[in-house]
Amino acid sequence: MEDCNALVKDNRQVARDTYLMTLACELSPFTPGQFLMLRLTGSCEPFLRRPLAILSCREGAVELLYKVKGRGTSLLAGKQKGEELSALGPLGKGFSDPRPDEEAVYIAGGTGLPPILAMAERIGRGHMIIGAYTKDDIPLWQRMQDIRGVEITAATEDGSMGMRGVATQALDDLLKKLQPPCVIYACGPAGMLKAAASLAKGFGARCEVSIEERMACGFGVCSACVVRTTTGNQRVCIQGPVFDAADIEWGQ
Amino acid sequence: MDISTRLAPGLCLKNPILSASGTFAYGEEFSRMFDLSLLGGVVTKGISLLPKEGNPTPRVCETPCGMLNAIGLENIGIDAFIAEKLPFLCTFDTEVIVNFFGTDEDEYVQMAQRLNIDGVSAIEMNVSCPNIKKGGIEFGKDPKILNRLVAQVRKSTTKPLIVKLSPMVTNIGEMALAAQEGGADALTCSNTYPAMAIDENTWKPILGNITGGLSGPAIKPIALRIVWEVSRQAAIPVIASGGATSWRDVVQFLLAGASAVEIGSFSLRDPLCFGAIIQGLIRYMQNNGLESITEIIGRLKTA
Ligand SMILES: Cc1cc2nc3c(=O)[nH]c(=O)nc-3n(C[C@H](O)[C@H](O)[C@H](O)COP(=O)(O)O)c2cc1C
Ligand code: FES
Repeated sequence: MEDCNALVKDNRQVARDTYLMTLACELSPFTPGQFLMLRLTGSCEPFLRRPLAILSCREGAVELLYKVKGRGTSLLAGKQKGEELSALGPLGKGFSDPRPDEEAVYIAGGTGLPPILAMAERIGRGHMIIGAYTKDDIPLWQRMQDIRGVEITAATEDGSMGMRGVATQALDDLLKKLQPPCVIYACGPAGMLKAAASLAKGFGARCEVSIEERMACGFGVCSACVVRTTTGNQRVCIQGPVFDAADIEWGQ
Repeated sequence: MDISTRLAPGLCLKNPILSASGTFAYGEEFSRMFDLSLLGGVVTKGISLLPKEGNPTPRVCETPCGMLNAIGLENIGIDAFIAEKLPFLCTFDTEVIVNFFGTDEDEYVQMAQRLNIDGVSAIEMNVSCPNIKKGGIEFGKDPKILNRLVAQVRKSTTKPLIVKLSPMVTNIGEMALAAQEGGADALTCSNTYPAMAIDENTWKPILGNITGGLSGPAIKPIALRIVWEVSRQAAIPVIASGGATSWRDVVQFLLAGASAVEIGSFSLRDPLCFGAIIQGLIRYMQNNGLESITEIIGRLKTA
């Protein structure tokens, strides 16, 4: 892990409140699910770095996909070509590869798309489900279509694209058509992860979830980002963000 | 040039830069980024007799030029610390300062006894954590209680004893003297400030613990004032803690009377800041023809 200079090469809107940023940055090879801690300014405002999942990293170009939610991400959306950031990473533990006999299923909801799309692009086979409230919330649709060997399904709550409903309903439908062994990769809101974990258990599939928790350091020293697991608290930033769904204590 | 600094009989740091408790864990993660031997000393996460789980999440929140935390002193406990973490820290050429706390006098005493072992350079006693219900801050609010607690701990250890004060008292000078008379070798000034953040959309507090401790550059001016006030009254060395981010801040804390400076929250943002801060301090001394940092410590010109 290093702290690298990252030059903004491109930063453009790709869906409602959603941006794709390309940085010129020499990162070590990453595993989907791993993230960067981005320092947005040289001053103390904003004070903390922001964790962002890595979408791709090829020949010194790193892609990040993010939704504007707060102060940090709106600042990020305002960055122009040529501005310089600092990136610490790749951080955390990413997804494990599917075994050759395992069918791979990728499911993303809310802001959970980047690590899932990264994984689908890396593995290049299986089924991917993307859930959103409405059509305008879905970025990079054509790019997802272009992943040879991966079949894409959209689920929108207002029915404006793909099936009407939530991503885990689409997962339930899909699993009915598949045979184990199967591995499910999930990232999204806690409710979605919990539902995906429970469907996976019912189906007898392995399930890896990438968990979002508020972070300060992103490299394991402050204990801000803990999640309850069967073996006690674990730090999402360093022991995760990817966990085996069976190890998480999902709570109510 | 001499940048070493003396904190107690038998505790001399090779330079005045320390990590801070709770922002450095037990050193392993940082050791993958730089050589810990660079530091004057490492201050560990606060340790207790039994492992502790800490508070519900969210545990942190960014604030203007700073942050709130309510970790709740999550730690692995003294047994695991001694077995798994201390041996690793001892492999570096730096002082190992173990921060600890208890929920009553007996626990503080037991912790001091357990830490009276090889490999521990000094102990930093936390009587100032705002984020737990029992232990911590209530020992740091009343000079009589603090004096008695420090005296009990003093009797239980031969290690240099540092007491980390709470800023949330009416008269911090009085607390400093109470700790000094109890037998403290040095004082850390100081811990975080109880504070909170609220989400106006959900009408809920942002932290799971509702309140937390404020740290970072936002508190630096207050920390400077506290260091200045305490170092004028106490005869023992003062370690500054609160908002330091640069060699400039370090020089300011030294001028105010600090003998060493802990870098906490800023190292969460810039984990490689320590080397740059030490280099900056050396360059500052060169440029100003200073031979020793004792020529800076407490030399604030107020006349
Ligand atoms: C995430 C976090 C955890 C902390 N944990 C402890 C602790 O376990 N024990 C302690 O004495 N102080 C703890 N502190 C306080 C710091 O050691 C330091 O005194 C304080 O943050 C002010 O310095 P800073 O502005 O440089 O961070 C913690 C601070 C933070 C931000
Ligand atoms: S964010 Fe600091 S330990 Fe995870």
